[in-house]
Amino acid sequence: MLSFDFDYYKPVTLKEAVQLLETLEQQEKKTMVFSGGTELITLGRIDLSITEAVIDIKDIQECRVMGLNEKNLVLGSALSLTKIEKANLFPLLTKVSSEIADHTARGKITLGGNICAKIFYREAVLPFLLTDSQVIIAGAKGIKVLSIHDIFHEELQLEKGDILLQLETEKSFLGSPFLCIKRRQQWNSGYPLITICALKVGNEIRVAISGFCPFPFRSKVVEEILNNDRLSLEERINTVIEVLPGPILNDVEGSSKYRVFVLKNLLREIMMSLKVEV
Amino acid sequence: MKVIGKSVIRKEAFDKVNGRALYTNDYHSVSMLSAKLVISPYGHARIISIEYKDALNMPGVRAILTGAHLPLTGESLRDRPPLAYDKVRYHGEAIAMVVADTPSQAKNAADRITIQYELLPVVNSPTEAFQPGTILVHPKLGDYVKEQDMNPVPGTNIASHVKIRKGNIEEGWKESETTVEASFSFAPSDHVAMETRCSIAEISPDGNVHIMTSSQAPFMVKQLIAAYFHEDLGKIIVTTPLVGGAYGGKASVQLELLAYLASKAVGGKPVKILNTREEDILTSPCHIGLDAKIKFGADQNGMLKAAEIQYLWDGGAYSDKAADMTRAAAADCTGPYHIDNVWCDSYCMYTNHPYAAPFRGFSHSELSFAIERTLNLLAEKLKIDPLELRRQNAILPGNTTPTQVLLNKSSVGNLPKCIDRLKELIQWEEGQVVEVSDRTIRAKGISCSWKTSTIEANAPSGVILTFNRDGSINLMSGVIEIGTGTKTVLAQILAERLKMDVDKIHVRMEVDTQTTPEHWKTVASRGTFMAGKALLEAAEDVIKQIKEVASPVLRAEKNDLEVANSRVFLKDNPSIGVDFKDIVYGYQFPNGNSIGGQIIGRGNYILRRISRMNPETGEGRPGPEWTVGAYGVEVEFDKIDYTYRLLRAVSVIDIGTVLNEKAAKGQVMGAMSIGLAFAGRETFYFDEFGRVLNPQLRTYRPLRYGENPEYLVDFVLTPQLDAPYGARGVGEHGLLGMPGALGNALSTAAGVSLHHLPLTPELIWRTKGGEENAFL
Repeated sequence: MLSFDFDYYKPVTLKEAVQLLETLEQQEKKTMVFSGGTELITLGRIDLSITEAVIDIKDIQECRVMGLNEKNLVLGSALSLTKIEKANLFPLLTKVSSEIADHTARGKITLGGNICAKIFYREAVLPFLLTDSQVIIAGAKGIKVLSIHDIFHEELQLEKGDILLQLETEKSFLGSPFLCIKRRQQWNSGYPLITICALKVGNEIRVAISGFCPFPFRSKVVEEILNNDRLSLEERINTVIEVLPGPILNDVEGSSKYRVFVLKNLLREIMMSLKVEV
Repeated sequence: MKVIGKSVIRKEAFDKVNGRALYTNDYHSVSMLSAKLVISPYGHARIISIEYKDALNMPGVRAILTGAHLPLTGESLRDRPPLAYDKVRYHGEAIAMVVADTPSQAKNAADRITIQYELLPVVNSPTEAFQPGTILVHPKLGDYVKEQDMNPVPGTNIASHVKIRKGNIEEGWKESETTVEASFSFAPSDHVAMETRCSIAEISPDGNVHIMTSSQAPFMVKQLIAAYFHEDLGKIIVTTPLVGGAYGGKASVQLELLAYLASKAVGGKPVKILNTREEDILTSPCHIGLDAKIKFGADQNGMLKAAEIQYLWDGGAYSDKAADMTRAAAADCTGPYHIDNVWCDSYCMYTNHPYAAPFRGFSHSELSFAIERTLNLLAEKLKIDPLELRRQNAILPGNTTPTQVLLNKSSVGNLPKCIDRLKELIQWEEGQVVEVSDRTIRAKGISCSWKTSTIEANAPSGVILTFNRDGSINLMSGVIEIGTGTKTVLAQILAERLKMDVDKIHVRMEVDTQTTPEHWKTVASRGTFMAGKALLEAAEDVIKQIKEVASPVLRAEKNDLEVANSRVFLKDNPSIGVDFKDIVYGYQFPNGNSIGGQIIGRGNYILRRISRMNPETGEGRPGPEWTVGAYGVEVEFDKIDYTYRLLRAVSVIDIGTVLNEKAAKGQVMGAMSIGLAFAGRETFYFDEFGRVLNPQLRTYRPLRYGENPEYLVDFVLTPQLDAPYGARGVGEHGLLGMPGALGNALSTAAGVSLHHLPLTPELIWRTKGGEENAFL
């Protein structure tokens, strides 16, 4: 039960949505752009989320795109995770997505919703960080196309009036070898203790991590160390631990020290499984 | 006709699978108001002020209640204000209650109430609570009204102390060549029933108090409301529809009192109070925690000679049912083993944690974890196979229990037989550890359990049978259908006794305390035993009445008559008889003359020869019979990262007779699943303010489908002679051995002794010294 009232809009064109957002913001109404609504429902009922207006973007065609063009895979922000999994155009994303929440919830949770979530795991962003994807954003001044590395720092840095439209990933990455492991406090359900995704591009390994810090990240420094062939595997792993961003999460899922132990094991597993030369 | 043992489909199954079954919160009415609680954000604090003027002026608000001037409540000890007054003693404790026209109006007003607190130091574990000179949760413990068998120690945090002194403990230690001593602990957790608790109250102008509630104990609700608030017992009518899972958590009486107070505050209008999941976890009573110390002594042959046991139960802020669990734990303190010299101190401790409700197994799965882990340590020290150690010390007819009850073939099941069957099912001969690959192994752990039901010595159960004009029967019993299928099993017992079609027996699912005969509480695996006994008496009553009417009609002696297939007939010539439909509403002769009349069967049962425990020695008979069981769990364990998968879980339980095979197996599997979740994942995480950090299903996670192992359930059949068709209680027993067996499997797999729950990979890592070796 949400005990607060809010205005609900469901525009059918992008133009309408952008204008609506601008107007509502001019009126200083706290506005939320959503599609599935899972976070508003689940956090709103315990007073952790509140809004005065909602713009539901699930009828906007551009937000529902899913397909390949000449160069890229394009995924709309309002696609549900189950829809993306079923189409399986991006196996790494399918794998990450399929372990988020549960199947029922994933029928509602959208790609954009997970990436822009308040709950900080935002695991769906990991494949896009690994593939240097482009983020397509609609705003009052038109469409912007930005590298994910320029706009995603801990979370998606949307400006006032911006709506996340699509994510574009170069086709050449879609077939690259990958490994994605979600380690939980216990067994197969629950938030990640650590989710790590790795992609092998040529001989280089790329990794992106969620659940270790209160935000997902991909770190160039970490990758340089992992790919440094002058170091042994253990040296690489031990050095990586020293350069990781902070703070390391210390919560009911696991202590920080234990997370370090888990991460070291995962790195070892990834390096060995993807046969990175050491 | 054989109905006993058949997997008859539950009488309420079609309603349930079609989503048509109604639970308390499904009942609405236009005039119904809603209540909403304001709960404490801290574990222990003084309430400086409660400001609710603004809230009172919010739209739809009818009343706001606080704890001033309310009587103290509590089942065995009156230590709990229905709404906190002066102090809060646990995170989630109800402080104020808003009554408004709609749920959201009530919530909005509740959000507007501001409370100022002064934080107090927190008692964050039963061991802390036990330290001399520590903070007192109840400084006025000595002033509280108490029941006879409560032993509170004023000036301490001990709400009740139960002692067992059996044999000569010094002699026991002298005879012991080998001793082991170990400590165990785990925090409180939750029941997580699918249906959160809900109560509705209405006080009609004639003074009748109507309560509808999701409860295992509607008759207790009635008694307690009468006792606490001085209402006439007969004017309180409690109704319970189907209950969506309870696991003991709905045996405590809490929301009903609040609903009653809320209705009273608004002139008797109907008021509903429904827990959110967070309130159900925090505010309503939880699953008890424990700190235990166990010491066992054995002679050179591995025969147990002495046991010294200390249980510090984490009863939380209020004693309520925790005091009874403390006693039940003392009565069965050693586990199902014969030991001549036993010394046990079981303490119900106050802490600043949510207070405890019964939890399926009533303290037995908890104490079993400590006992069964210690036995494995003993086996290791003695270099005896842990299964063999259990078998040779298994409790047998002729042995005595810790409370000195002399057991016989009827009062205790056959544990050695359970152990032998377990040995086969878990493939014990294969070895406790099997290598799977470089990094993974399979490991097995085992455990045993026993349990008697330490319910009130005079607990009653009654049954009424009425007939329909087609000869079918209506069965009314005060047992609550909490998901166990007990009412279907009762129909089977009746069908068996009357040798009739079970489909012609209609079971009333709802209970209302005005017209349904009382069944004490639907707890402690006692539904089938007690209601079954009452039912058999009612069946005899019906048979007797039918024969009385049929005797002149058939012109035959009553002794020459037989009842079967919804008919009464001559034993030696079945073709001469009368159908039920022609006799159960009186028999009419061809000329219109009638005899007999409506047949109403009645039966009742009261437990016999149950006695209170001696306060100094514990001597006494706490329950009618002991169900025993043997358990095994097999895991696949990763030696590098300490993660594991549950592969197989086995329960072999002596249930006397199988009344409904699938229902019995379902009960055992369901209980095993709860036990594994409790052992492997479920716990409250507390911070230094006594706050529960995971009061949501996001972070408090029961077992999900797919995480479960393969379940293997088998039964041993040693009849309990005085039970309906020999059946023993089985509702709880699948749970009891799971924590111990999983703990033993993982301790074997990891090569370290595990002493805490839940058994997470992080716990194993920490026990292996991971923390000390870690760097950050």
